[in-house]
Amino acid sequence: MARRKGLVINDRQLDRCDDLLQKLKEVSGSSFLALISTSGQPITTASDEYHPETLSLASLAASSFAATQQLAKILDENEFTLLFHEGKALNLHVSQVTDQVLLIVTFGRETQVGKVRLYTQRAIEVLRQIFDGPEDENTPAMDAGFEAAAGTAMDDLFKDM
Amino acid sequence: MPLINFAAREINYKIVYYGCGLCGKTTNLQYIHRKINPDARGKLVSIATEEERTLYFDFLPLTLGTVKGMQTRFHLYTVPGQSYYNASRKLVLQGVDGVIFVADSQITRLDENVESYLNLWDNLLSQGDDLSKLGFVIQMNKRDLTEVFSVEDLNELLNHTDSPVTESSAVTGQGVFETLKVVCKQVIAKTG
Ligand SMILES: Nc1nc2c(ncn2[C@@H]2O[C@H](COP(=O)(O)OP(=O)(O)O)[C@@H](O)[C@H]2O)c(=O)[nH]1
Ligand SMILES: [Mg+2]
Repeated sequence: MARRKGLVINDRQLDRCDDLLQKLKEVSGSSFLALISTSGQPITTASDEYHPETLSLASLAASSFAATQQLAKILDENEFTLLFHEGKALNLHVSQVTDQVLLIVTFGRETQVGKVRLYTQRAIEVLRQIFDGPEDENTPAMDAGFEAAAGTAMDDLFKDM
Repeated sequence: MPLINFAAREINYKIVYYGCGLCGKTTNLQYIHRKINPDARGKLVSIATEEERTLYFDFLPLTLGTVKGMQTRFHLYTVPGQSYYNASRKLVLQGVDGVIFVADSQITRLDENVESYLNLWDNLLSQGDDLSKLGFVIQMNKRDLTEVFSVEDLNELLNHTDSPVTESSAVTGQGVFETLKVVCKQVIAKTG
């Protein structure tokens, strides 16, 4: 399941994801959407305003989702592919796109859950093609000087104080 | 498995502090949170029980800034140490790039250290990851106390992989950043 290959995203993939998220946001009436990795890192978001806690959000959503999957396993149920929280003003919907990617959708109570589910399901089918498609030859490689430069930056930031 | 987002020019690594209950994992994160340049860190998120013990994990995102055009981040996690929380530990290990095994140097804690160390390798192996790509460092913590094992003895007991070892006292902060730096450099070297 967790391959040590990592998740590498190129320009074309990100553009397509951003377009799709923007569309999904419009048709579903949701206020904040995010694509995150199953290890808890944000990939991209669509939101009316910048969400200052996107990192915490991604980390917590990914772990809740992982916990949900473990619950399913314990209950011999393979189909917990969705995590849903209902709040007073806001609903949260987390669903699986691929092995390595999750989709977070938040929307207000005035929006019908069924509508969001329906549009989200369609969006996931398209997202899957973006991530599961053949590897793009245009994916760039890491800059050769990255390791040395990162080392210098770390010496600076992680000084024993 | 770092997340490399060439389009957004971002790279994210996941680092996990592992070790038995009360060995000092959360204290490491708290020290980093307190001392690092506030611009370089996000919020410290903890999911704890009523007795303030880590139930699920602590989470602290750090950013190294822009390196060769890439926004470079390290996401630090701790796991709950108590043996009955193994399901939570496995979840936190998903997609990990580097592990800091925090050993409690106190002589009375030997059994707990060994159990946690074996449990770590069990969990990593069951993930089916390529472990040659994993960063790994052993942090011998609580060096400020008196009834402790020598570094040589602990190394003999807990370091079958011949990994780098650091000494620390997380309460005073001694060795905390040094340890983090060792594992961060490893994970970057292994990405290329
Ligand atoms: N003397 C000493 N105490 C420590 C050190 N590191 C942590 N502690 C203490 O050990 C206890 C447990 O630490 P904590 O970080 O919560 O452990 P965790 O369960 O691994 O997260 C706390 O009371 C800490 O103050 C250390 O280096 N020296
Ligand atoms: Mg803790």
